[in-house]
Amino acid sequence: MGSQTAAQIPTSFGHELRACLRCRLVKTYDQFRESGCENCPFFKMDEDHERVVDCTTPNFTGLISVMDPTRSWAARWLRIARYVPGCYTLAVSEALPEDLQNLCEDEHIPYAPPKRI
Amino acid sequence: MARQHDYDDDVDQEEDVYREDEEEEDEGDRRKRRRSNFIDDDDYGVGSGRRRPRSRTASEFFDLEAVVDSDYDEEEDEEDEAHFHSPCNNGAHMVLHDDSYINLMVESSALHMQNSPCPIEDQEEDLEELTRSIQKRYARSAHEEYDDEATDVEQQAFLPSVRDPKLWLIGQERNVAVCLMQKAIDRPELQIRSVVGLDHLQNYIYIEADKVGYVREACKGMHNRYAANIILVPIKEMTDVLTVESKAVDLARDSWVRMKTGTYKEDLAMVVVRVDDMGQRVCVKLIPRIDLQALANKLEGRDVPRNEAVIPRPRLMNIDEAREMNIRVEHKRDTWTSDSFDIIGRMSFKDGFLYKTVAVKSISTQNIHPTFNELVKFCQLGEGGNGDIASGSTLFANRKKCRFMKGECVIVIKGELMDMKGRVEKVEEDIVHVRLDHEDLAVVVFPILLELHKYFEPGNHVKVISGSSEGATVMIGSINGNVVYLVSDSTKETLCVFADDAVESSLVTSGFSRMGKYELHDLVILDNNDFGVIIRVDNEAFQVLKGVPGRPEVALVRLREIMTKIEKKGNAQVHYKNQLAVKDMVKVIEGPCEVSAVEYLFRGVVFIHDCFQLEHAGFVCAKAQSCVLIGGVHGDPFSSRIANLRTLPRVPQSALGSSKGGQPMSCGGRDRGGRGHDSLIGASVKIRLGSFKVSRNLILDNVNASTSFREPFRYGLGSETPSHSSRTLLHSLMTPIRDPGATPIHDGMRTPSLVRAWNPMSPPRFGVLRFPDIHWFTLEKCRDNWEDGNPSSWGGSSSQYQPSTPRSWAYEAPTPGSGNYINTGTPRDNCCVYANSLSFNLPSTPGGQPPMTPSSAYIPGTPGGQPMTPGSGGLDMMSPIGGVDTEGPLLLPAIVVHVRKSNDNTVIGVIREVLADGSCRIALGSSGSGETLIAREIEIVVPNKSDKIRIMGGSQCGATGKLIGVDGTDGIVKVDDTLDVKILDHGRFGQVSACIVVHSNSLNCISCDVNHESVSVNLSFRFLWSFIYLALLRNRKEDINAFLIP
Repeated sequence: MGSQTAAQIPTSFGHELRACLRCRLVKTYDQFRESGCENCPFFKMDEDHERVVDCTTPNFTGLISVMDPTRSWAARWLRIARYVPGCYTLAVSEALPEDLQNLCEDEHIPYAPPKRI
Repeated sequence: MARQHDYDDDVDQEEDVYREDEEEEDEGDRRKRRRSNFIDDDDYGVGSGRRRPRSRTASEFFDLEAVVDSDYDEEEDEEDEAHFHSPCNNGAHMVLHDDSYINLMVESSALHMQNSPCPIEDQEEDLEELTRSIQKRYARSAHEEYDDEATDVEQQAFLPSVRDPKLWLIGQERNVAVCLMQKAIDRPELQIRSVVGLDHLQNYIYIEADKVGYVREACKGMHNRYAANIILVPIKEMTDVLTVESKAVDLARDSWVRMKTGTYKEDLAMVVVRVDDMGQRVCVKLIPRIDLQALANKLEGRDVPRNEAVIPRPRLMNIDEAREMNIRVEHKRDTWTSDSFDIIGRMSFKDGFLYKTVAVKSISTQNIHPTFNELVKFCQLGEGGNGDIASGSTLFANRKKCRFMKGECVIVIKGELMDMKGRVEKVEEDIVHVRLDHEDLAVVVFPILLELHKYFEPGNHVKVISGSSEGATVMIGSINGNVVYLVSDSTKETLCVFADDAVESSLVTSGFSRMGKYELHDLVILDNNDFGVIIRVDNEAFQVLKGVPGRPEVALVRLREIMTKIEKKGNAQVHYKNQLAVKDMVKVIEGPCEVSAVEYLFRGVVFIHDCFQLEHAGFVCAKAQSCVLIGGVHGDPFSSRIANLRTLPRVPQSALGSSKGGQPMSCGGRDRGGRGHDSLIGASVKIRLGSFKVSRNLILDNVNASTSFREPFRYGLGSETPSHSSRTLLHSLMTPIRDPGATPIHDGMRTPSLVRAWNPMSPPRFGVLRFPDIHWFTLEKCRDNWEDGNPSSWGGSSSQYQPSTPRSWAYEAPTPGSGNYINTGTPRDNCCVYANSLSFNLPSTPGGQPPMTPSSAYIPGTPGGQPMTPGSGGLDMMSPIGGVDTEGPLLLPAIVVHVRKSNDNTVIGVIREVLADGSCRIALGSSGSGETLIAREIEIVVPNKSDKIRIMGGSQCGATGKLIGVDGTDGIVKVDDTLDVKILDHGRFGQVSACIVVHSNSLNCISCDVNHESVSVNLSFRFLWSFIYLALLRNRKEDINAFLIP
């Protein structure tokens, strides 16, 4: 482990798992609601609970626990090497809603929509 | 954000380590090293004990500065290097930092950048450069990470290298990935980098680590269901592990889905709404499959045993009906949508549809292609008014993939070019190139999805390529937008399909060749005691050509109306009191003049199969009495050639003593063909030579297939009769090789004809002999047979044509030459067969006709009754793929030869005709004007320079040309057709007499190609059509594409 503080680890593996549409961090719905996304605090999910639904998705594919993002090839390949350690998904299937994309833009946060195959 | 700084810090520390390590090294080396690490920024610091106390050098500051810069870039994304703010200005950036040391560093470095454009005084000069490189490096990595339009090229920069950690596959449940994350947090000394769990790989996870030992350590204590088998993922496959197709779950309202399980399995449903936040459940609307009676029983508690296996038919729920059955119906209003539903039990209905909440996992959402009927049901029943089916409204929104094929007619349905028609030129992945029917417009490119429809004219014949009536050919009745209304060719039913699901087809086939135990071309007895031949098999019915002589009477017959099938047998008296048997060649003298093989004889009625007939699958029904056996003992006024043959006393009458005596003589191969119906069926043959060499066995498992392979034998034996095999295209296909083939083989033909009289099994063997490229298990045996039989046949034959000349013996032998020619035919035969399984009855050229029948009168398929010379030069077109090197010269018509007369004199003559037995009819005189005689011992006159010549072997056999030079044994020939100049062996061409017109009126095989699984043949009829067959051997019915190119 690097010196980084890890994101919350999902407390369950069930259906309530959701992935952040921007950084692909995977946590439970409740976790997002309580503490937001560690990588995307500007979404302020912990403050606005409606945001959780908008910013996260239950439709994602694959799971990767990144213990050491800076030194993990997989994290680099998935372009999550700059995020905090934690559980991520390999791919989300939806794009961030447009208003939130605008938000990212305003905050100068880069956002890359998922590639549709 | 704090973590990002942490991370920077981390990196810095490690970089410092390097810096110190390298302090002593020379500058160039250092830079090199730096650059090489551009991307692999975690290449260092693998070990843990490398962190040393920092020595604060200037370089350190620069490093940090670079990092801050990158960090900054990352946040601001588009700032360029020269435009630095203090990170302090950016609140989000700095707030959370509790490491004051770092804070200080960042500030100072940022300040430095802002305030002093010139280098810090005590800085070494190289550091500046170093700085720049580092800046560049970090700027780039930030860029890479967050580039919105990350291209594949950039992604390639991340491809794993040997220095990266490795991926290890280990049998653990996927959830272990999360557990290991927790474990890694609790125990930071775990050396694993990441753990991947894939959805489709339930019981395995990948662990990324440098050493397998770390993986073991990490998995210690985990519940391990599987043997602790840790597999290293090869570097090349590492990216595959992480490449997942993002499941684009596009469950928009009104999209079509199909149920995966339960009563409604495979039923079409429409998404109504997503039910829960999580998106794991959706509400869909379905056409209910509810047995109201059963429901009523259940609700009333009556226990009536029900057959669970019977799934009720889909039918809209009629609430009134339900009420009448005392089923309690509640009326409820949905609180969200304020739609009202009728609730029965726990089911909700609206407008007769069942609204059902299902898990997303239980429906399939991809590639849903609702059929027309399904859509109609949904549309008409449900939405009532707006059921304009063809309008392409939301109903058709999901119908995305339209399959266009080159050459298809399309119509533009959107945009400026709307209603323009055109033909598809090219189809790429997403776009179609269309050549519009307009002079001013060249090829226009369209996106494949929405702007084009297939276009058909009413009356077009199409084949339905998907849906319930798949495979049937139908005629377009009318067209409404994307929907075509079709009339089935056979059952005359009307049906609707999407234009997408139809392809134009010139075939009138159903794609079926058998139903029940009856097959195409079977002779069957119907329940009203009629009988007939199945000429077409449709989805639900047969077309039967009834055995009513005189006029073709076709009945549409259901399976149950067929009583039984009649095997081929039977004899009948024919004209001139001949006995007629199946497979005999007959000519119908009353009615149309057909010369064809008898396929069936039943109750005095003959079914003749003529592949050149388009109608009724080539079958003609006639009274046995009105048929004349061709080549029969009693003569045949129509065929002088046959008459010629017949008068040859070579074949002893004793051999012909049987009732069929006449046949073998004229149609040496035909009977073989007939027998062959069972001779090679199921046999496994391997083409082992020639251009069709394939490395595997072709199992010929049906009659047609075996026919095809028999065909070469027939021709190989120099027999002239296409006989029954008119089912296949074979004749036509074989044409090119006939003449050349004939010469060497004619002698051989006699042998089987004789042997056959006593040993019905022998002919195929001879066939095999003559077909040296097919291995067959009786090969050895038949060689013996052949050799035994031959002399006897000679003995029995008349002495008029002494067979003892070396030449004729040579011809009898299965020379490689003839083998080669025959060989060329084989794969084509295959194709034909498959084509045939589609009952591909094409009008053909004389090529398929017995060469004995010189007149086109017998060839219904030839336009205009192409007159041919008796020499039928048309038959001499050689397959261009014929063996090139091994065959000897083949006698061809029009070649000037020396004829050796009995007294050793030779006279000059011109071959007029190559007869079936290998002898030639020769007109004496250098121009062929003198008397004709039949001779066997002939010598080709060697042409002189600038003589007109004809090539007698090789790939251009049959072609005419001019000898423009002689070089030793080689002749330099300019070929007429192609104007190519060829160098040919001297024996390969003969002088052509000028007075004989050469017709090339035959079917050419332009190219054949056998690859692993398919045979494609490109054929061209000179006068008719070109055909391309692509027959996949495995799924032959489905996969044959036949294009008719006018």
